[in-house]
Amino acid sequence: MSVAPVVPLLDVSNLGKSYGRTRALESISFAIHRGEVVGLIGPNGAGKTTLFECLAGVLSRDSGEIRVNGRTVAAGASPSDVFYLPDAIAPWPEQTVKWAMGFVAGFFGAPAHRQQDMVRRLDVATLIERPIGALSKGQRKRALLAIALAMPHPMLLIDEPFEGLDLRQARDVSSVLRDEASTGRTLLVSIHQIADAARLCDRFILLSGGRVKGDGTIDALAAQVSGATPVRDLEEVFLALT
Amino acid sequence: MRSRSAGAWLLRKEWRELIASRSFWLMLVLVGPLVGVSFIPAVQTYAEISAGAGSGCGPVCAPLDGIWAPTFSAYEIAAIFLLPFVAIRQVAGDRQSGALKLELQRPVASAIRIGAKAIVLLAGSVVAMVPALIAVVLWMSYGGHTYAPDIFVVLAGHFLNAGLTISFAMAAAAIADHPSTAAMLALAGTVGTWVLAFAGAVYGGIWASLAGYTPAALVALFQHGLVRLDVVLIALTLIASGLSVAAVWTRIGRPLRSRLAATAGVAAVATVLIGACSFAPGSVDVSESRRNSFGEAEERALQRIREPLRIEAHLAPADPRRLELDRQAIAKLRRAMRNVEVTYISRTSSGLYEGADPGYGEIWYELGSRRILNRATTDEAVLETIFELAEMSPGEEDDQTFPGYPLDARPVGAAVILYGVWPATLAGLGFRKLRRPT
Repeated sequence: MSVAPVVPLLDVSNLGKSYGRTRALESISFAIHRGEVVGLIGPNGAGKTTLFECLAGVLSRDSGEIRVNGRTVAAGASPSDVFYLPDAIAPWPEQTVKWAMGFVAGFFGAPAHRQQDMVRRLDVATLIERPIGALSKGQRKRALLAIALAMPHPMLLIDEPFEGLDLRQARDVSSVLRDEASTGRTLLVSIHQIADAARLCDRFILLSGGRVKGDGTIDALAAQVSGATPVRDLEEVFLALT
Repeated sequence: MRSRSAGAWLLRKEWRELIASRSFWLMLVLVGPLVGVSFIPAVQTYAEISAGAGSGCGPVCAPLDGIWAPTFSAYEIAAIFLLPFVAIRQVAGDRQSGALKLELQRPVASAIRIGAKAIVLLAGSVVAMVPALIAVVLWMSYGGHTYAPDIFVVLAGHFLNAGLTISFAMAAAAIADHPSTAAMLALAGTVGTWVLAFAGAVYGGIWASLAGYTPAALVALFQHGLVRLDVVLIALTLIASGLSVAAVWTRIGRPLRSRLAATAGVAAVATVLIGACSFAPGSVDVSESRRNSFGEAEERALQRIREPLRIEAHLAPADPRRLELDRQAIAKLRRAMRNVEVTYISRTSSGLYEGADPGYGEIWYELGSRRILNRATTDEAVLETIFELAEMSPGEEDDQTFPGYPLDARPVGAAVILYGVWPATLAGLGFRKLRRPT
């Protein structure tokens, strides 16, 4: 009896993107399976945001192929199973969090009970009547995470989920994200705080200079590093490989 | 929750974004005083003319020319200096705040996204026209005469102009990476139309033809109570083209080359359509005074002339006599007769140094094998020459000549309402709305 191969939820092969003469992404290939929490790690300017935007169809790719659930996604098209939450945005700044949740729920079809659940779990209830533009960076991040996590999409791309959060909030968000993954949801998160990434993710994709420098668990990545001194944690792996 | 269509969600969102925009409220506050500075002097001047001319003043006392054209001209200023910034904010705000990156993830046709913004901005323009409607009510309260088609045609002209402004500003905002660049592009477009109008006045020919389709020329036609099919069709084509370009550039995920190609395609289609529309015949003079038409008996007589009429005017483009001839008699003639061919001949653009040429200033009329010279440029002289050439008489004049509606009234209450109550009310409402989002 033959076993059908497991189709990755997201399969990226040879993805390339340039801004003029600058190559932002070059031959990016990786796959992510359902229920995985994958950390996209890389220094500033590595191409993490560009990669997210190409995956979400917000930005067109120049080359390569993206398949979601085995279906090829046309360049510049948004895959219906993926929702992307960019970093450093303040959408509809004059509108309240409550209105934004209502709009996004209506526009994308997010169930209302999911939103109420996320408002409670991410402690956003006190912010609900405030305009998004009037929130602090951390408050805005929590409000937008509540909006994104309430989305019905099986896969979420989240750029810097812990940016602007204090230690306690970061731990709470990490816990919510892990809970989401335990329900079968797939997460690809870009994190520049290595400690946060190590706490949250099952697997890591190291990106530097627009290229994938490593892909695997901490142990698998550590094995790639050759040297006299054995590396033990993600921070050392990151420094060695990027 | 998703039962409402994407378009309906976007319309709701755009309306909320519009009323949450400071630039929109500022525009609403400012249109009141702008209408005031147009309406109040217009009423005063109308009163002076009425007192001087007395009853039976005829076309001199036409509310269309004396009140509505100057009052509504406030919206020409608003369309240049206020409305573009409201439209730019509506488009660029999504990109600046990052909202566009979220919204683009639901596959919705760009035309629907841009259409929702355009509909809401047009609705906002209608709200901004309330001060002009207050001026209409004030005029009626003074005992002033109103003729609904006169008011509607001027309103329609400004509404079309608002559409042009909105579409151009939206295209600029979608193309430019920053609102300030978009604002500069929008103002450059306006200045470009002024340059075109200047070139038309100086060089005539194709420049004058093109200048006839600028927003200023469009508004001027409607202010005179004239609706020309070619002008309306070209304006609608330009609006659709501007919105199409905005839709193309809103898809930030599309490669730059593809967006440039699509823009070139839109420009090519628009050029062909504009060329075709410029030949669209037909116009309606809706003015009560029939200021764009000859008398009905004269028009009937002109329609009986079957042979082609050729007019050869030796007048320079900037010569005031040519302007009078072209905008009055020739424009009316073209509306009344199917077969009129007009040729202008001059060596210079101003005509100032053509005095030595004895032929300068001559206007030759040719019908069949007959040819007559007449230098006069008034409606009466032109008609007289044509009827002489055609060896016919226009017949009895109609009794229904425009009587004129003199009104020697002061603009009571206009300053209080348009300079005080309107801006204060709108500023208060805006302040409340912006402070307490719901």
